[in-house]
Amino acid sequence: MRLSISHETTYHYQDQVRASIQYLRLTPHDSERQHVLSWQLDLPRPVRAQVDPFGNILHVLTLDEPHDAIIIGARGQVEIDELREAEHESQSAWPFLRCTRLTEPDEALRRFAEQHCHQRRDRTALIDLMQALNQAMIYTPGATEVDTCAAQAFAGAAGVCQDHTHAFLACARSLGIPARYVSGYLYTEDCAHLASHAWAEAWLDDAWYSFDVTNQLARPERHLKLAVGLDYLDACPVRGMRRGGGHEQMHAKVFVAPQQ
Amino acid sequence: MIRTYYDEMYDGAGQVRPHYREFARWLADTPTELLAQRRREADLLFHRAGITFTLYGDELGTERLIPFDTIPRSIPASEWRVVERGCIQRVKALNMFLADLYHDQRIIKAGIIPAEQVLANEQYQLAMQGLDLHRDLYSHISGVDLVRDGDGTYYVLEDNLRTPSGVSYMLEDRKMMMRLFPELFAAQRIAPIDHYPNLLLDTLKSASPLDNPSVVVLTPGRFNSAFFEHAFLAREMGVELVEGADLFVRDDRVFMRTTDGPKAVDVIYRRLDDAFLDPLAFNPDSMLGVPGLLAAYRCANVVLANAIGTGVADDKSVYPFVPEMIRFYLDEEPILQNVPTFQCRNPDELSHVLAHLPELVVKETQGSGGYGMLVGPASTAAEIEAFRARIKAKPHAYIAQPTLCLSTCPTFVENGIAPRHIDLRPFVLSGKETRVVPGGLTRVALREGSLVVNSSQGGGTKDTWVVED
Repeated sequence: MRLSISHETTYHYQDQVRASIQYLRLTPHDSERQHVLSWQLDLPRPVRAQVDPFGNILHVLTLDEPHDAIIIGARGQVEIDELREAEHESQSAWPFLRCTRLTEPDEALRRFAEQHCHQRRDRTALIDLMQALNQAMIYTPGATEVDTCAAQAFAGAAGVCQDHTHAFLACARSLGIPARYVSGYLYTEDCAHLASHAWAEAWLDDAWYSFDVTNQLARPERHLKLAVGLDYLDACPVRGMRRGGGHEQMHAKVFVAPQQ
Repeated sequence: MIRTYYDEMYDGAGQVRPHYREFARWLADTPTELLAQRRREADLLFHRAGITFTLYGDELGTERLIPFDTIPRSIPASEWRVVERGCIQRVKALNMFLADLYHDQRIIKAGIIPAEQVLANEQYQLAMQGLDLHRDLYSHISGVDLVRDGDGTYYVLEDNLRTPSGVSYMLEDRKMMMRLFPELFAAQRIAPIDHYPNLLLDTLKSASPLDNPSVVVLTPGRFNSAFFEHAFLAREMGVELVEGADLFVRDDRVFMRTTDGPKAVDVIYRRLDDAFLDPLAFNPDSMLGVPGLLAAYRCANVVLANAIGTGVADDKSVYPFVPEMIRFYLDEEPILQNVPTFQCRNPDELSHVLAHLPELVVKETQGSGGYGMLVGPASTAAEIEAFRARIKAKPHAYIAQPTLCLSTCPTFVENGIAPRHIDLRPFVLSGKETRVVPGGLTRVALREGSLVVNSSQGGGTKDTWVVED
């Protein structure tokens, strides 16, 4: 399947921003599952691409002239191999066993993982876990904040794709299975607001398998991968800081459509 | 139980060891009242110089003076040369280990260290994978903590490859001794150490491929327990002392804000932990770091000393492998001994540890500063049981070692002079060459019988002499 993506993020600030810096992970790269046919970023000024610690393509945008808005655009076309379920990688998966503040399992998450997987450490066990988490955490926009950790969201029994993914990572790692956060795009016919998405990958049989808790999908047929990391903070499309500016208003427009 | 300690000054028969004879003679000849007066003078001078440290875990953030003892720790030069070679050998191997770990991982492929143990370690930094550093150096400034057992054998207790501190006390203690007792330095040949700041600057500059790089010292700020040292070293080297907010990144280059406009920075001697360096890459709540620093670092536009990710090599769970690293990378036998170490992550070693807690010292693999440790022989049954529960809950987070005797050195106490336990931290500088200034920092546990020398736990310091024999 060939997907066409257009993603525009606009930041409006109440006051003038004196200086700002953003880490942008908005450029997909080729892998076994996806082939980038064309891609381009529209930024306030030209920025050279680099590769971040997780192998993602990173742009660091620094603005030191006063500004009251930033528009970040990304668009391109990517060919997805729908039949491929898992991806191989030469880098060791061991680092993805460690927990971060956002993915630290508490006793409740540990027990939940044990209850649904017992001694099993295979793909069907993680699919059961994925489905159980989806039931245990009702998809509820606004129920959590961007810095809500897995344990908090799980305790509140609600969250969005970010929380689902964090809870899944916490469980998988507590079982001794390396797992990582994926941010990217999802093509759906019905609800366009889901286009910017997050899901998990777990390391089984020497390959990364996808687990989309929010959509209960263990086959990444319509998923376009942008970046991976230990948690949201490593993989999120935009992470920035600024001096000044006051209140911020963010608006994102994402369109994902199949090309014939 | 009667323990025999190795005393630095007196041998088993109570005779003064040869390298202490000159000092012992002087001590006997100097009136007690004069010594007491000089000690009061030292306290006053240290107070005036503001040489203090902040206690962690103290809600008031109390600043305290680190007690300074005027009886030096003395090492014969012939003995020092062995220690020096041993420290250099160790730090070389540790730097080679780090370069290997972040590149080919030959030592893992050779089956010497289990992959999971290092790669799943929180101190292993993915950001360093495949990154090439100038001269392949990761730990430019290393502190090797040494202790001596009952027979005087030196053991390495731990390696400090992140932001080892204490060198300012080494330098100030010497200045103080020379000021109070100049006659001691005229009477014998004591190796000088005052060139350390020059060597440090030289080391920092040689960490950069540039001819004359600009160097700064990055401090977390004045609330950090070692702030005095950060300011001291910057001043001694004649470079700027900066906080995160004084630096900024533009187009993957680091600049310092100055009254004359932005000035490029090439080498950062950072006394800030990895997690706080760049809020956009690590801990997002850090107000201490520089946004964008990691990207600039990975573009090789700035040097960090020490490098990011050195903590995986001085982690206590990796420590037991250092002798093997020396054999693997240098094809040499270790000159300095490791303390035998039980890893609680291994079930059979765990059961041994749990059965022998009253005899052992148990430490957290991630701990430092003498916090979160159990000294079995000095603990109550209740303390031991409380620690047992902690170990059982998280075995992989603990290691255990036999309780070493730790050598003693005569020390001024309330009622005259008495032996107190000491350790030694030589500072190893790795640049074009690997160098150590003679001696290092001697810490002394001032409480009678105590084996914990950390300043945060009531330890003091002594001047450390290397004396030609």
